[in-house]
Amino acid sequence: MSIWESINTALKSIFANKMRSSLTMLGMVIGVCAVVLLVALGQGFQTSITNTFNNLGAYALYVSTSSDKTLTTVRPLTLDDATALTDKALAPAIGIVSPTINKTVTVQNGNNSDTVPATGILPIITQIKTYNIDMGRFITDQDVANRASVVVLGWQTEQDLFAGQDPSGQTVRVAGQKFQVVGSIQKLGGMTGDGYILMPLSTMQSKLVGGTNIQMIAVKAVSTDQVDNAIAEITSILNARHYIRPGATSDFTIRDMRETLNSMLSTLAGFSLFMGAVGAISLIVGGIGIMNIMLVSVTERTREIGIRKAIGAKRRDILLQFLIEAAALSLTGGLVGLALAMAAATGMGHVTIGQASVVPQISASIVIIALGVSIGTGLLSGTYPAFRAAQLDPIESLRHE
Amino acid sequence: MIELQNLSKIYDLGEVKVTGLDNVSFSCEAGEMVSIMGPSGSGKSTMMNILGCLDRPTSGTYLLDGDDVSKLSDDQLARVRNKKLGFVFQSYNLLPKIDALANVELPLIYSGQDHRHERARKALEAVGISNRARHLPPEMSGGEKQRVAIARALINDPVVILADEPTGNLDTTTSHSIMTLLTDLNKKGITIVIVTHEEDIAAYTQRTIHVRDGKITEDNVR
Repeated sequence: MSIWESINTALKSIFANKMRSSLTMLGMVIGVCAVVLLVALGQGFQTSITNTFNNLGAYALYVSTSSDKTLTTVRPLTLDDATALTDKALAPAIGIVSPTINKTVTVQNGNNSDTVPATGILPIITQIKTYNIDMGRFITDQDVANRASVVVLGWQTEQDLFAGQDPSGQTVRVAGQKFQVVGSIQKLGGMTGDGYILMPLSTMQSKLVGGTNIQMIAVKAVSTDQVDNAIAEITSILNARHYIRPGATSDFTIRDMRETLNSMLSTLAGFSLFMGAVGAISLIVGGIGIMNIMLVSVTERTREIGIRKAIGAKRRDILLQFLIEAAALSLTGGLVGLALAMAAATGMGHVTIGQASVVPQISASIVIIALGVSIGTGLLSGTYPAFRAAQLDPIESLRHE
Repeated sequence: MIELQNLSKIYDLGEVKVTGLDNVSFSCEAGEMVSIMGPSGSGKSTMMNILGCLDRPTSGTYLLDGDDVSKLSDDQLARVRNKKLGFVFQSYNLLPKIDALANVELPLIYSGQDHRHERARKALEAVGISNRARHLPPEMSGGEKQRVAIARALINDPVVILADEPTGNLDTTTSHSIMTLLTDLNKKGITIVIVTHEEDIAAYTQRTIHVRDGKITEDNVR
């Protein structure tokens, strides 16, 4: 008997028992659907984080004042520190230097108000972090030079204060002082959130915080392979400026976003694996369901097996028939589960997990693995019942009622 | 055609050994129609199982169509059953969920042959039941089912048709028509062995072998 005949025989038998077949498949449907959806969500989450980091400037270094309590003197970072880093002779590996100050403030437009982080920036920040202008314009060098009282609104802040109308030219109060809105930024998405305002660094210093201290300096190396050199240059320049003796602990820290990204991604990969494992348990349960039904089916069809053997079916023919039946059942279950998972993923659109907006991603590799695993489960759980069927004695089987 | 030489079958049930057949010898020529009779427990079922290559003798030889089949493996026996034997059972033994035509085709599938539909149709015509080709067995009468079973037995041009109480589940009229069909097939040259415990049925055959306690007690040619 050829393999095609075996497949044909197995399929006929599946169709002849529709109710039993569909119940058998159910376990597989649920298992595959769960695994595919969970993995798709995990991958979507991963993409969301990667995008966020790219927006933030994943390859940027963030220099900030150390919070180490054992240090006796801590000199805050200043604008001059930032300017010193732009020295091309001392710091050839450093490309962009973008100092910032942060403060949480209340922004008001008439009766609408929002408490948001305000960031004092230089326009050069756009070379490290992506800001797409929604309406109006971004902050200019002119604004910085003039200490202009201007702000740019994040997407959410713009929605909250102006409900989608063009805010440029309008006046808002930031911590009670009048500012002119010059523009707004498009939705960033990802995990950062869109409730914030931006203003010139100089304005922030003079009107909201006072002094020349800054909180953070974002630095971008000239190229990705120069990141380690850039770290060394920042350390030596700032150590000199802060009078740190050789070997002593610096009073500032340099955060390498690559490390943060990598550790987040590996945490997430572990999490995805865990989710996949939870889904895999339902696959195992589905497999046991198939084995159970196949065993019942062998007993129920003992007479059929006897008839087939009497008219010339070899052991191999019976073995194949039952194996293929199990594999076909679980493959079909897998396909249905996959279709359901795809429909569910499309139906979800994007899911909000915390601040992150996640779009489930069904990749070719999940599809192949899910179907492979479902056929594998079918074959595995079909082996024992098929073996039992093939071993049946034709005389006994023919007597079976 | 069929030749049994000093054939014995002993069932080993652990503590006791039960003799199914005790040193039986007999032969049957091509074109013969033979009936085997005996009370239950006489060994006629054992004989049928061995003749049908469903079981192997403990000792002795069984020559079928000139070949010794007494020591073949399970798969080799399956091949012999497929190619050289046709079975007709008391309870028909058709697969209930496929139609008559598909039932008749089954042996051809297991031997991987072509033109299955045409051949199955011809076999159904030969037993006078081609009008029921597309019906499922549960939709047919006992007589019709037995005709389909005979068509299935004929499909691979077997050396011998083995019929085990072929009329056991049928009324007298239908029994008669089935026996007439078997007799007609025999007249066309097909060898037939029938196991029965009814004298009327045995009367259709030219030769009757009586079995008792695993031995042949009578061998009468009419």
